[in-house]
Amino acid sequence: MLTLPRRPLRIATATGLTLIIAALIVAVLWAILDAATGASGGSRVDLAHLLRMTALQAGLTMVLSLGVGVAVAWALNRLRFFGRDLVVGLFAAAIVTPGMVVAFGLLSIWGRNGWINQAAQSLFGFSFDSPAYGLSGILIAHVVLDGAFAARILLARLDAIAQSRLKVGQSLGLGAVQRFRLIDWPAMRGSLPGLGAIIFLLAFTSFPIVLLLGGGPANQTLEVAIYTAVRLDFDLAGAVRLALTQIAVCSVVILIASAFTPVPSALSRSAQPNWRDARPVRAVQWLVLVLATLGFALPLLNVLYEGLAGGLFRVLEQASFWRATATSVIIGASSAALTLALALVLALGRSATAQRVGRTLLGVPAYAYLAVPAVVLSLGFFLLVRALGVPSGAAAPVVVVIANSLLSLPFAMATLGPPLDAVLRSRGKLIRSLGLSGWQQFTAIEYPLLGRDIGLMLALAFCFSLGDLGVIALFGTQDFQTLPLMMYRALGSYRSNDAAAIAALLLIFTIAAFVGLPRLIERIAHAPRR
Amino acid sequence: MLRADDLVFAYPGQGEPYRFTLEAMPGTVTAISGASGSGKSTLLDLLAGFIRPTSGSLSLDGVGLLSLPPETRPVSLLLQADNLFEHLSAAENAALGLPRGTPKADGKARVATALAEVGLSGFEDRIASNLSGGQKQRVALARTLLRDRPVLLLDEPFSALDDETRKTTRELVGDLTRRHGWHTVLVSHHADDIAALAEAHYRIVDGRLERA
Ligand SMILES: Nc1ncnc2c1ncn2[C@@H]1O[C@H](COP(=O)(O)OP(=O)(O)O)[C@@H](O)[C@H]1O
Ligand SMILES: [Mg+2]
Repeated sequence: MLTLPRRPLRIATATGLTLIIAALIVAVLWAILDAATGASGGSRVDLAHLLRMTALQAGLTMVLSLGVGVAVAWALNRLRFFGRDLVVGLFAAAIVTPGMVVAFGLLSIWGRNGWINQAAQSLFGFSFDSPAYGLSGILIAHVVLDGAFAARILLARLDAIAQSRLKVGQSLGLGAVQRFRLIDWPAMRGSLPGLGAIIFLLAFTSFPIVLLLGGGPANQTLEVAIYTAVRLDFDLAGAVRLALTQIAVCSVVILIASAFTPVPSALSRSAQPNWRDARPVRAVQWLVLVLATLGFALPLLNVLYEGLAGGLFRVLEQASFWRATATSVIIGASSAALTLALALVLALGRSATAQRVGRTLLGVPAYAYLAVPAVVLSLGFFLLVRALGVPSGAAAPVVVVIANSLLSLPFAMATLGPPLDAVLRSRGKLIRSLGLSGWQQFTAIEYPLLGRDIGLMLALAFCFSLGDLGVIALFGTQDFQTLPLMMYRALGSYRSNDAAAIAALLLIFTIAAFVGLPRLIERIAHAPRR
Repeated sequence: MLRADDLVFAYPGQGEPYRFTLEAMPGTVTAISGASGSGKSTLLDLLAGFIRPTSGSLSLDGVGLLSLPPETRPVSLLLQADNLFEHLSAAENAALGLPRGTPKADGKARVATALAEVGLSGFEDRIASNLSGGQKQRVALARTLLRDRPVLLLDEPFSALDDETRKTTRELVGDLTRRHGWHTVLVSHHADDIAALAEAHYRIVDGRLERA
């Protein structure tokens, strides 16, 4: 079929960019492999133990998060109440909430000196073994974040169930269990494998949470082990072995995941008829929702409370804080802009390509970096820059921006790709037969339609970069630090008041960007159109 | 005259291919009918250039069209739905039919004239998603006017309209066709559309066009 408008320029640009990114990946891998053969043996890394622990942790995280996600999505889909949109928005923000901040918030509730232990101390005169450290702590933090993420995605599936189907079910008088089995479950089932794979990957490659809550070598991920090997043990050979293992495992998971349909990003909603479950069932739904909301919101509220009450002014007085803020914002803005440029070129080229092979190839840059997580990526860049003889201080900002945008690219492509494809699917014939130029097609049709998605994408990329610790951890210096790195260092030197204040500000910046950027961009996109 | 001579086409895996032969006169409506799935849309795709026949010829007033890609064929298109970009205004949608590089002021005047001709004066700034089904088809017809290509292909353009609207829209198509001398090819399975509009009528039977 010739129903796609012919856009050789778009395809050529996207192909060129894909080649550049592929070359970059090859260079990074080469740098890692080269270091592996050059370095002498004698590494102290216990790979088998690491793999076992990480897989166990990620597997448990996946199962628990999916369970929580299904239950919360089910409850949220049924209940109508004032502030529901706010709760939904809260769960949507889970994807951008910095892991550092969540881990810190959990510590202040579940930790040795957290609320729970303090309450136990004053009420009963004894304290618990804190569950916030080790495997249980990691699992709690992951399930809080990834369960909320899963709930948001699955809720979209439930909210998109066709009205007619619900009407039929309601008129048949289905009970709560049958309703779940016959209507809800089929709507969610298709998303579970892809979603599960994403959560497994997120947990498998988790960095800040494990760094903060892992409590030592017994509970590490490969990422943390790589960081420790490079930064603390100067064991480059070990780091390289770990990085290669990491890439291998992630690639396998991605290959398995890509066999399933991907998580759809479209959040279409159908107007749902008012069909309430029976009273006892609704009680269960309320219980699920209240527990989940408290579980997610309390740590964050506590971060705000402790941060703003405690050392806020001391932190605000430090010049290094403002420098770190400026660095964070500049790096976030630059990598968001770079992500937008990369994602637009790739997505426009991809949507103009009819052949399966071409579409797959232009999608590769997004997937490749899923396989090469933050710390591995920056290790590769670190080695590459060293091999090229560039002082790592000079290369650091550039590398951090590039690494952060490449890490956001999969999410950016997943945001921009589907709407572009949808436009061409429904209007491709029309655009082609009208003979619109590529520029006309972009300015008159694609850009106004994408306004909101572009804003969402910029917000995602900005927030990812703002909360990143994995990339900056290897490159940061005393003069070049972002807010998460500054927070981590404050924790490391037992200035927990400073850390609390930075965590609170980081959380506020993140939420503000996540909520504000899409609105701002939508305004701008629509501004010339009255 | 628009003339298709033994256009042969088969989708991958299809047994017996389609073989289409047809003539359409200027200033007239030529109707195509046939069971659902009989190949009506496929015929229009061949005429518009979205698919290429394996053999046969297609010409307008003796000039061959088959080598032309869809964007340069002398053809305008009106489908059952999805003819407009929902986020653009009526005027902006219609203006997509103007030749590239038309000066702004000139374009604006011509858009206003075209919208007037389809009975939509004053709807310039209405966003397409806020137009009724019949109004949307009229805006698409205004765009067709501005493009002013000699062939108009219509694929069940009235199916989504209520009886009253379909009647007036159909009359508009007839008027415009006569006034502008278009070769209009109308796919429809409604006998009254065909009776009211068409000077010639073909039916698709077993992959071929038969005069009805
Ligand atoms: N892109 C395609 N690939 C394969 N078969 C197709 C394609 N498009 C249409 N067909 C098949 O060709 C036949 C004719 O389709 P179509 O021309 O759309 O029929 P009509 O418009 O008369 O209802 C149908 O059987 C349809 O399934
Ligand atoms: Mg059809």
